[in-house]
Amino acid sequence: MNDDATVHDRELQEVAQRLGARAAERLDLERMAQAVVARLRAEPRRRAWAWAGLGPTWLRIAAALVIVAGAGAIARTWWHGPAPVAGVVVPLGEDLSGLTASELRDAIGALDRPLEDETGSGVDVGLEGLGPDDLRALLRSLEG
Amino acid sequence: MTPAEPVAAVPTDAALIAAWEGGDEQAAAELVRRHARALARFLGGTGAPDMDVDDLVQETFIRAFRAVAKFRGQCRFRTWLMTIGGNVLRDAQRRWRRSRLVPLGDDVRAADGDPHEHAVAGEAEARLAAGLERLPPMQRDVFLLRAQQGLEYNEIAAALGTTPGAARVHYHHAVKRLKEHMT
Repeated sequence: MNDDATVHDRELQEVAQRLGARAAERLDLERMAQAVVARLRAEPRRRAWAWAGLGPTWLRIAAALVIVAGAGAIARTWWHGPAPVAGVVVPLGEDLSGLTASELRDAIGALDRPLEDETGSGVDVGLEGLGPDDLRALLRSLEG
Repeated sequence: MTPAEPVAAVPTDAALIAAWEGGDEQAAAELVRRHARALARFLGGTGAPDMDVDDLVQETFIRAFRAVAKFRGQCRFRTWLMTIGGNVLRDAQRRWRRSRLVPLGDDVRAADGDPHEHAVAGEAEARLAAGLERLPPMQRDVFLLRAQQGLEYNEIAAALGTTPGAARVHYHHAVKRLKEHMT
């Protein structure tokens, strides 16, 4: 029984040793060695290109992030309306050089107010300080 | 003045690997010359079509040289190469399946020599190859490393990341299943 098993094992081994023998014999060792060396020689260049290739990839990611952030900012502005308009006490472009320190503090405080109120009651806060022109401008902007 | 110490006629694999890591391309070429045929036989045994063996051998060496820093001498370089070769072949087989390209089998490919003689001699090989294809990869690799390459279980276990006892069990399972397939 054991002898029989051994014979079978040996036969199996012999057949296994023949597997791939033809392909191995056909192999041109010198050509293979030169081909491998040539590819290895090219590898540093490939690595350099790979690193260079990272640049555009990161640029693409950065560009995508900028677009997403920009779109988010635009959407937020559109959704909330032009918030700064609601709190404008000193119209943009007005010469501030004639204002005193306390007047400037008041102006800055007024500019801060809409930001503080964003989480609160919304655009109706501070409308009482707007003149008819400002209100018309605000309505036009809300109408799009 | 004493003559310079003669350089060893046959450098060890470890010496060649160190030389390659130091930038000696000829050391890499020598490693290829030394191990390519054994690797080709192993790949042939694991189911690589003859026509693809050259490419697979080349790819195996490239991967091995790129990752040679990971080789810590846990087993012989040749054995390590064969484990890489097995992975290269599996990757290739996945690509072939995806692209639906079926490499020609030995039975339908033109062969050198007397066709009848080739058919008779190749019948057992074809049956064994078919049986090997049905084995789990670990059993197949253990069987080939043992039966074809003549490695000890310790060496096989170190290469495949298992224990010698487990390698022995894999081998016996493989032999049992292959015998069933061949009878």
